[in-house]
Amino acid sequence: MGVTCVCQVPVSEGKSVQQTVDILHKKLEQLGAVKQGNFWVDCETYHATGNATGQPSKLLYVMHNSETPLSCMALFEGGPGLSADANFDVLMVKLKSHFQNAKGHKVESRGVRYRYCDFLVKIGTVAMSSSARGISVEVEYCACVIPGDCWNLMKEFMQSFLGSNTPELPTVFTSKAEGLSVPVDCMDTMSQYLELFGRVRKQQVLPGSGVR
Amino acid sequence: MEAPPVSVMPVTGGAINMMEYLLQGSVLDQSLESLLHRLRGLCDNMEPESFADHELVYLLKGQQGNPFLLRARRSLLHPPAPWHLRYLGQPEVGDKSRLALVRNCVDVSASHGLPEVLNEMGFRMDHEFVAKGQLFRKGGMKVVVSKLSRVLVPGNTENTEPLSLSYLVELSVLAPAGQDTVSEDMRSFAEQLKPLVHLEKIDPKRLM
Amino acid sequence: MQQREEKQLEASVESLVTRVAHLKGSLQSFIYKLENEYERLTWPSVLDNFALVSGQLNTINKLLRNEKTPSYRSQVIIPLLLSPDRDEELAKLTEQRVPVFSHEIVPDHLRTKPDPEVEEQEKHLSAEAARIGPEVAQKQIQTLNKLCSNLLEKLNNPRDDRDSETSALRQNKPSFNPADTNALVAAVGFGKGLSKCRPPGPAAPGHPGQPMMSAGPTLHQVTVAGASGHQPGMGGQVNQQQPGQPGKMPSNIKTNIKSASASMHPYNR
Repeated sequence: MGVTCVCQVPVSEGKSVQQTVDILHKKLEQLGAVKQGNFWVDCETYHATGNATGQPSKLLYVMHNSETPLSCMALFEGGPGLSADANFDVLMVKLKSHFQNAKGHKVESRGVRYRYCDFLVKIGTVAMSSSARGISVEVEYCACVIPGDCWNLMKEFMQSFLGSNTPELPTVFTSKAEGLSVPVDCMDTMSQYLELFGRVRKQQVLPGSGVR
Repeated sequence: MEAPPVSVMPVTGGAINMMEYLLQGSVLDQSLESLLHRLRGLCDNMEPESFADHELVYLLKGQQGNPFLLRARRSLLHPPAPWHLRYLGQPEVGDKSRLALVRNCVDVSASHGLPEVLNEMGFRMDHEFVAKGQLFRKGGMKVVVSKLSRVLVPGNTENTEPLSLSYLVELSVLAPAGQDTVSEDMRSFAEQLKPLVHLEKIDPKRLM
Repeated sequence: MQQREEKQLEASVESLVTRVAHLKGSLQSFIYKLENEYERLTWPSVLDNFALVSGQLNTINKLLRNEKTPSYRSQVIIPLLLSPDRDEELAKLTEQRVPVFSHEIVPDHLRTKPDPEVEEQEKHLSAEAARIGPEVAQKQIQTLNKLCSNLLEKLNNPRDDRDSETSALRQNKPSFNPADTNALVAAVGFGKGLSKCRPPGPAAPGHPGQPMMSAGPTLHQVTVAGASGHQPGMGGQVNQQQPGQPGKMPSNIKTNIKSASASMHPYNR
């Protein structure tokens, strides 16, 4: 577990999602990155069936990450988060009279995992209801857990294959009260994915795009 | 955001349909040593685990039906340890042929953000207590002997008051649904603790 | 007549041999278990093995004491032929333990008297006994008897104490209290007798079947403080039970509390 940065890469003009992903793969391979299996991150949306106060409740997101296959993460947008073991999914089934799963809102990102020295790069196709909606890129610098100590290095590495699409320091780190010197945890990665999925969900469906 | 369409629940992982088989009893403080002594002899050859836990019981009220109850426990002896979140279903006590209380059970290990997330989900803390005691094992069986204390100032586990002059004794087994033979083993084990402690199948509803 | 006795002898020897073989078999398997399966061996099964062996020894003793068993004491075995050569038949009969019936081993195997050293010691003791007079001997016997009875008394008395203690425990001093059991089970089951974190609003005191066991004046206050303010005294665990960030969603908190106090007790159904 190191510092991660998740960003969305726009689909190149005149290209399909898959073609853009292929271009990214090629760039990474030219750099010398090595394919190391696949990855996936998914996100279920739950909404409360109605609380006693009748107020609109926040949506609860339950996420999984192939990097931590025995865990299950529960998050609120911009709010508190929780990592738990896989039994949390079973608990959500028990809670179904209070929290309903919005199946149509399930978002996932799947793709190839590359390793380049101390970096892990995951290029994923973000899909909702089996239609491709965008591209996610996750870069993890495995050798460091303090964002303030390695962000410049990460940025430089990302520029080498993302060019002008290189993102800024993720807000999940900058918004922390303790600053950039606190160690990251897996929830930081998940909130970045959650933010990205949220943006993708609101986005228009790309014309004529199916997954892969 | 508009209400999204609802469909079948996905289950990605976890152990589904685990049941807790339970027998309960108590022992007076002055007889505790005799009980611990006997348990040391009867249980697996290991030092009993000492524990001190803070349990917070949360309720979620829906528009209709019974409130949903969850128990969150944290260790006072090992603060960095994960929290333990537990769901217990309605006990199946009606079946007289069953020798133990049987109820659905989901155990979840969770990170320290648990109370905040539960609050955000709409759960509200209903009550809390501190349980201190020892845990013995015999095969799959678990024997927990614990002292329950009230928390006098909410959240302050230093300031507690014992609930009674007895220790709660619980014998439990977790098993997949349908394995009713475990309750026979539990019964025969409970027999061996008599007359020091009488472990029984107690329906908590009877005590309301 | 003699023929009948011979037959009887033969039959009894035969049954003795089979019993001894059984005993040997169970000893062998027990030793094998002790040496090879000691990791899996449970105490009850060790006890079972002991019980088996002791049972078999008992049967052999019974057999020897039986009236129908002729007295083996009156039977004499005479070695007719000694040979320094290996006897295959003998080796087979004794499971390779005695391969030769020679001058060297016969005195050991057919011995009816104690070992020479033991004989020597016995002679020494008899001489000693003869040396002291009957009066001295009587005295010594008395001293020994006295010592023994004293020791027995000491051993028996504490057992009485123990017995009376446990019986007292069983009859007079119960080790558990059913009322405590109920109270504890109700407390872990649904928080009966534990301070509620919900405010005791107007609905609370009227709850049927919900005696507020802990509703003393001080506790009452504490409960109110906990439900509305939540924070003073939380010390290091500040982040644990905050209902959202204070100030962030104040309206939500307020309504929730109101609704909680207004609704019926959750277990009233």
